[in-house]
Formats: sequence, structure tokens, C-alpha cells
Amino acid sequence: MEMEKELIYLYCVADKAPDLKKVREWFEKPKVIRHEGLYAVVGRVPRGDFDEENLKKNLGDMDWVKERVISHEQVLEAAMADSCVVPFKFATLFNSEGNLKRMLARNAPLLKEALRKLEGHEEWGVKIYCGLDALRATLAQDKEILDKEKEIGSSSPGKAFILRKKQEERLNQMLNAKINECGHASFDRLRELCAGARINRLLPEEVTEKKEEMILNAAFLISRNAVQAFMEAVDALKARHGDNGLSFDCTGPWPPYNFCDFAGRMEIRSAGTCGTSDTAGAERTADHGRA
Amino acid sequence: MDGHDVIAGSKDVTLLEILDRVLDKGVVVSGDVVISVADVDLVYVGLRALISSVETMERLRGAPFYGPMQEPT
Repeated sequence: MEMEKELIYLYCVADKAPDLKKVREWFEKPKVIRHEGLYAVVGRVPRGDFDEENLKKNLGDMDWVKERVISHEQVLEAAMADSCVVPFKFATLFNSEGNLKRMLARNAPLLKEALRKLEGHEEWGVKIYCGLDALRATLAQDKEILDKEKEIGSSSPGKAFILRKKQEERLNQMLNAKINECGHASFDRLRELCAGARINRLLPEEVTEKKEEMILNAAFLISRNAVQAFMEAVDALKARHGDNGLSFDCTGPWPPYNFCDFAGRMEIRSAGTCGTSDTAGAERTADHGRA
Repeated sequence: MDGHDVIAGSKDVTLLEILDRVLDKGVVVSGDVVISVADVDLVYVGLRALISSVETMERLRGAPFYGPMQEPT
């Protein structure tokens, strides 16, 4: 069979047909494929952009990445405006509509269960940053530290040198303890209000381009009627930890990217060379990412 | 307000947030899929330059650095 010039790009699977008229065009307007009671939001993309050879090159081109990642997000946002969605990872591609439909059929129970659980919920992200210098300055006002400072001032140079080393060590320990305490306490407080919560890896400064260090990168799945309380809790944490040099970035609502953790569970019988194992994921229960 | 444009309106500003999700999260299917972007680090290599150029753009435009996504309503 001749290879199509285009691939089917799957953005998300929805519980009802979303209105996609407002989505900005990329290569082609996304469209909805209905199958097995599910609504797959798909687009057609040039095969050449995503084949192994070109993809590596394209991923190094930030303009290319930026355009496609933003398109991906925009399509999902349009879809989730009037339906519940299970988002798929960037560049989830199928050779044909037939293959996509087979995947849907095979995983329909899993997808439907996920949609049921996600219904009425929103994903929000909270990143906490800490200005280490500001926090260090606050901690330096600690009584124990100040007392030691006096002792250093009245010591002989040799003894002062050793005490100074110890003082710095003590301050660093306090700093780490404080960061952990604030980060964990904040996460614990927020997760109380949520249906799901997860902690993601911290992003390095060269990526965030912030002077402050990221100390928490978390995602929360919140029932729509609890979103207001969640925001209030974030504000309360901001007020409480502002003096410690902590700042909070709260964003959303996002498609529930962080709460569709089917890794390794979604499978399709492959006619090609991909050679998936035939242990269908569809029979297994969805791990809904509840932390 | 046009709900569809909530994130789009401040899209540039939160590109990092989008990349952090779109490239790294979401359902992964194995099988027919031609490629999977497992090597996310590859993308982060060029991120720094991109994000700083976006920031500069926003400042030049006089737009607030933090967009409407900050607010729940």
C-alpha cells in the first residue's frame, strides 16, 4: 500500500463533539472523528515534518517547535471549552484514520473511564520560586544566628574563622529546611482541596530564566466548584510565605495533561514494524494519577 | 471574554508552561504511532534563547509579563 503524504495527528479524545471553528489554522483545520462513542480531535500534518530524520532537525528549531506546541495547546483549549478531553502527547501520529479508529476501539473503555473521572474538573499548575538571597537574609535574623554572630565578633581571628564556617553551614541547613517546609506545606495545603495532585520535576534556571530557584512544580486536578477555594488558598500561601522570599505562579485551567497517565497502557495492534505486544491495555483499569 | 483565547492571549508569556506540558505530558500511545518525542531535553536546549526573545517582545509591546492566565476568572 502506498504511504499517504500526510499523517493523522491526534490532539485529544473528547466525550462530545467540540466546536473547533475558532481554532487558528496550522496546516489544516482540526476535525472531529467519531468512533465508538468517542470524539477524536485530529489534524492532518505533512509526513515529512515528523519522520525520524526531519523531526530531530525540527525539534532543534525553536520556531518550529513553538508554532506546533502552541497550535497543539490551542486546539486542546478550544476542545475543552465545551467538552471534557483526554489530551494526548505532542506528535501522537497515525498512518491512517483506520489505525486511529482501531486504537479508539481498543482503548474505548479506558478512555471513557478517564473522561468520566475528568468530567467537571480542571487542571491548574502551581510553581513556587524562592529568592534564596532574600530568604537567607530573613533567616540571618534568627536569634541563634545573631547570637553566634556576636560570638564570632568577639573571638580571636583563628576561632572566628572556624565559627564563621560553622555559621554558614548552619544557615545553609536552615535554608534547605525552610525551603522544604514551605514547599511541602504549600503542596499539602493545596492538595487537600483537590481530586488529584502531582509533583513534577523542577525546571532549571536556564529554562525558567528566573533569578529565583524553582522549589516546587506541581499540578492539581480540581473540581470546578472547588477552584475558587483553591485560588483563595494560593493567595493565602502567597501572603504567608512572601516574607520568606517565595513567589507563586498559578496557571490554568489547563487540559488535564498531568492526570491522564496511561503510559504503556494504551496500545494498538500494529500491522507495521512497531511490534507492540498484544497485551491489550484496554482491559486494565485506568490509573488516574491520583497522588 | 472569549474563553478560547484565555491562554492564547498570554500564550507567549507562558510558553514554558505549555512546553512543560505538551512535550512531556499527555497520553502516550504505543503501536502505530510513527514517532514519540521522548527526548524532551533536546527541545530544552534551544528554550533559553526562545524564552528570552519572547520576554523582550512582550516588554517592547508593553504587555504585562503575566497575562490573564494568572486570574481564575
